[in-house]
Amino acid sequence: METEVLIIGGGVLGAVVARELSRYKVDVILVEKEADFGWGSTKTNMCIVCQGGDTLEFRPEYHRSKLVWTSMPLMEPLCQEIDVPFKRVGELALIRNNEELSKFQKLKARAEKLGMNGHQFIDQDTLRQMEPHVTRKAIGALFDPNIAVVDPVRLTIALIENAIQNGVDVKRETEVIEIDRGVNQFEVQTSRGTIQCRYIVNAAGTSVDKIARFVDADDFVLYPIRGYVGILDKNLGDLVKHEIHMRPDEIGQMNILTPSVHGNLFFGTTMQPAMRGDYSTTRKIAQIGLKNLQKIVPDLSEKDLINAFAGFLMFRNWEVGWHECVVQPSRKVPRFINICIGYPGVSAAPATGREVIELLQREGLKLESNPKFNPTRKAPPVFNQLSEEKQRELISKDMRYGHVVCRCETVTEGEIVAAIQRGATTLDGIKFRTRAGMGRCQGGFCTPRVVKILSRELGVNEGKITKKGWNSHLLLYKSKELIEAQT
Amino acid sequence: MKYSEIDVAVIGSGPAGMAAAIKAKEEGAEHVLIFERQEQLGGLLHQCIHNGFGLLYFGQDLTGPEYAHRFAEKVRDLGIEVLLETMVTQIASDRKLTAINNRNGVIHLQPKSIILTMGCRERSRGQLAIPGTRPAGIFTAGTAQRLVNVEGFVPGKRVVILGSGDIGMIMARRLTLEGAEVKAVVEILPYVGGLTRNEVQCLHDFQIPLLLQHTVTQIHGEQRIKAVTIAKVDDEKRPIPNTEKTIECDTLLLSVGLIPENELSRMAGVELDPLTGGPMVDPFRETNVSGIFAGGNVVHVHDLVDHVSWEAEIAGASAAQFVRKGKVEKKKKILIKPGENIRYVVPQTIHTQQDVTLFARVKEMEENVQLKIGDILSQPLRVVKPGEMLRMELSQSQLTGLKEGTNELMVECRKRR
Amino acid sequence: MGEEMVICIGCPLGCRTKLRIDRRGEVAKVAGNKCKEGRQYVVEEYRNPVRTFTATILTEKSIRPLLPVRSNRPILKSKLKEAARTLIQKKVKPPIKMGQVILPDILNTGADVIATDDLLN
Repeated sequence: METEVLIIGGGVLGAVVARELSRYKVDVILVEKEADFGWGSTKTNMCIVCQGGDTLEFRPEYHRSKLVWTSMPLMEPLCQEIDVPFKRVGELALIRNNEELSKFQKLKARAEKLGMNGHQFIDQDTLRQMEPHVTRKAIGALFDPNIAVVDPVRLTIALIENAIQNGVDVKRETEVIEIDRGVNQFEVQTSRGTIQCRYIVNAAGTSVDKIARFVDADDFVLYPIRGYVGILDKNLGDLVKHEIHMRPDEIGQMNILTPSVHGNLFFGTTMQPAMRGDYSTTRKIAQIGLKNLQKIVPDLSEKDLINAFAGFLMFRNWEVGWHECVVQPSRKVPRFINICIGYPGVSAAPATGREVIELLQREGLKLESNPKFNPTRKAPPVFNQLSEEKQRELISKDMRYGHVVCRCETVTEGEIVAAIQRGATTLDGIKFRTRAGMGRCQGGFCTPRVVKILSRELGVNEGKITKKGWNSHLLLYKSKELIEAQT
Repeated sequence: MKYSEIDVAVIGSGPAGMAAAIKAKEEGAEHVLIFERQEQLGGLLHQCIHNGFGLLYFGQDLTGPEYAHRFAEKVRDLGIEVLLETMVTQIASDRKLTAINNRNGVIHLQPKSIILTMGCRERSRGQLAIPGTRPAGIFTAGTAQRLVNVEGFVPGKRVVILGSGDIGMIMARRLTLEGAEVKAVVEILPYVGGLTRNEVQCLHDFQIPLLLQHTVTQIHGEQRIKAVTIAKVDDEKRPIPNTEKTIECDTLLLSVGLIPENELSRMAGVELDPLTGGPMVDPFRETNVSGIFAGGNVVHVHDLVDHVSWEAEIAGASAAQFVRKGKVEKKKKILIKPGENIRYVVPQTIHTQQDVTLFARVKEMEENVQLKIGDILSQPLRVVKPGEMLRMELSQSQLTGLKEGTNELMVECRKRR
Repeated sequence: MGEEMVICIGCPLGCRTKLRIDRRGEVAKVAGNKCKEGRQYVVEEYRNPVRTFTATILTEKSIRPLLPVRSNRPILKSKLKEAARTLIQKKVKPPIKMGQVILPDILNTGADVIATDDLLN
């Protein structure tokens, strides 16, 4: 296979670059190691975007901060164009004492110097009105009206679909195994064949440095930091309406509680260096997480937790603070761009996409506008969000929308089939695209049914269906197969 | 039947739903409609291919499908309407109900009464926050039961089961008979969570190792589970350091608790009891919302299906009376409070006009106890266990004999000296 | 001659009884039971440990992959695994009614394997 630009990694950054490139008449291939998009750092995070003010904590003059607040005004219009949910929740950074107050005063001043004028100090009474369940220990808060939440995996999938719509070739379950440098090109060996390309955009998340090392293009060192995120029961309703942030009492902790775009509450806590790829959560982390959560909303308890997971962020210079990111052409290898934001990756995506285009042009890529570029991508119907009239219409057009498969999130067979038609091939793929399996029972009821639908639509035996691609098969044996093997 | 004139709508057609519908019809309700989200009547009974059902109700030892069959036949004979593959998505406190299926699209009804018989769901891995990786091969025992007994798959051949609830033990036997090796059943308490009968007939009969006071502390495996680490726990259920052992396996089943499924109840404004996870009910199984009744596992998790059906019948009879008279006649209300070593009591309120049966579970196992209800009942018991539900009968004469002005009765279970 | 342990399942106590077995293989003494019904149960369980056998059978030409079955009377518990093995090759076709005999006299026990559900299509 031959192409002009190869994007390695189908997370939110690779996807946004793919979509930006699809505005131009240029051959692009994107390869993604997993069976679906956004399954690395993109999916394991707090979903918070438009964080300009927040990242001022990390030295406003740095590249990372610039990318984040340049992205701020771009995120909502982007979400509208590609039809993904976006909810402006606003952030309340809790103030518990004068030390915190003065820290926030400095932050507000810094923000205003850069032209961000939305921050407001909220007193205790107003805080109680805005958030009656938040800890009484807070004497006030700094309110940032810009903060919003998105579903990063849906965002990534939408970017990918829009990119495909506009001509980008996207390959899943395709892992890069080796890269060789030719005279004016790269030869990239993948698990599904060799690709020749002139430019490489390395957006491989936790493997960015490994990929860069194939051609000695790594002029940076990355440190994996593992964060822990918990999901709370939807029944808590709007226990909090804003993203609530409490300053950590210890290094390596963050205390954030936020409504997600789907109505759950997410909380984030503990960040610690960890072995790359070790997504395991330990009991101690879970306990610290819950204790921190209760600092924000004392009424919460373990029984409100429905799931928890770990996610990786790749940082530079951990010891001196989280200053910098990697969005730069390699100094050692021409036409090789490395991208790694660390935190906050999703927030910085829109501006990063544009910047990478400029970087590619500086490396020599000639770009001609694609007049057929269509910025609009429509999401598949989400049954439980439709008006009743639309629901009836949908069912009469396609009976499968009348068959509810996931009862916790009210996801219909029609939506599952649509997700498969758009590229889902795995149980987790269905989960992230439709939410089937993300509710209270965590797939207990719908899993056998989803497996049957996948098997039917893909035309393969149920035994071939996997949880998350590669060798994660769900059903190892058919009835009687094991006893037969024993006799 | 015109769907606009439903007397009793029953949500769920398991051993509770069918029994409630039948009783309602027998007690005079004319238009009874059952909503069932699966393809046939019977709820979870179809995947319970083992015996042990109906010993009390029918005086026979039936399997789940056979038990379901008896009720389903009666449902048909009585002309009770059924909407299969139909999901009720909403109910409101004025009993307006919305349901969806692929034939009628979106259905709106306002039945004169509703009986909630949705049963329960299983506690999941996410809720346990078991540390470790997130590979394929982890199933709740009930989901595995469906896969093995209905869909025709055996999820793996080297199985570890966390939790010795009845479903876990039954699956230990089932998987063994389907050729898998069940390497251990791991239970955090010092005794089995389900019935002793199952401990004997599922674990001992097949020499399946039962590791009491142990728990799974880590899951290993990237794509498919490949091992679990287990550790001994102390009396506070905390893992004891240096007791860890690794068991290789390709499947982990979780049998760690059932939670009554009350999403719809919440929507309808039904008050739930945090101790049971189910609606607060009175002896007629009416909830705080007039005309909405509940019975079966949705109220509290039962051990025996026979009790599920009997309880649901109370709800059915009450619904029929409600439709006939516009209300269920009740006299003085008394609040039941769980006291020492009692986790919960159902019903949560009683009335003094008739005999009542109280159901309760203890918090901890204890031998040689005295079960007391206020001053009016005192019963010695050899042993009480959380896994085996208690039944207490109170007669009307005992209740009318209560002191004037009694508003509360405490149920307690104390160690005898 | 020796000792056997049998758990009584007559009530939640679950007494772990010890049975003394004499030279003829008969129960000479029972210890550990707290009631006489339990004594009766454990002796019977020792002499004749039987269980109802329940399983599934593969189907063909049916929309359901499996038919649930049972033995119509209990069989020796030592025969359960073998009973499961004898069903591997058996396949059934609709229509089948609940109660229908699928395999008569399994393993010469005198018990028939019968369908516990209808298989109509």
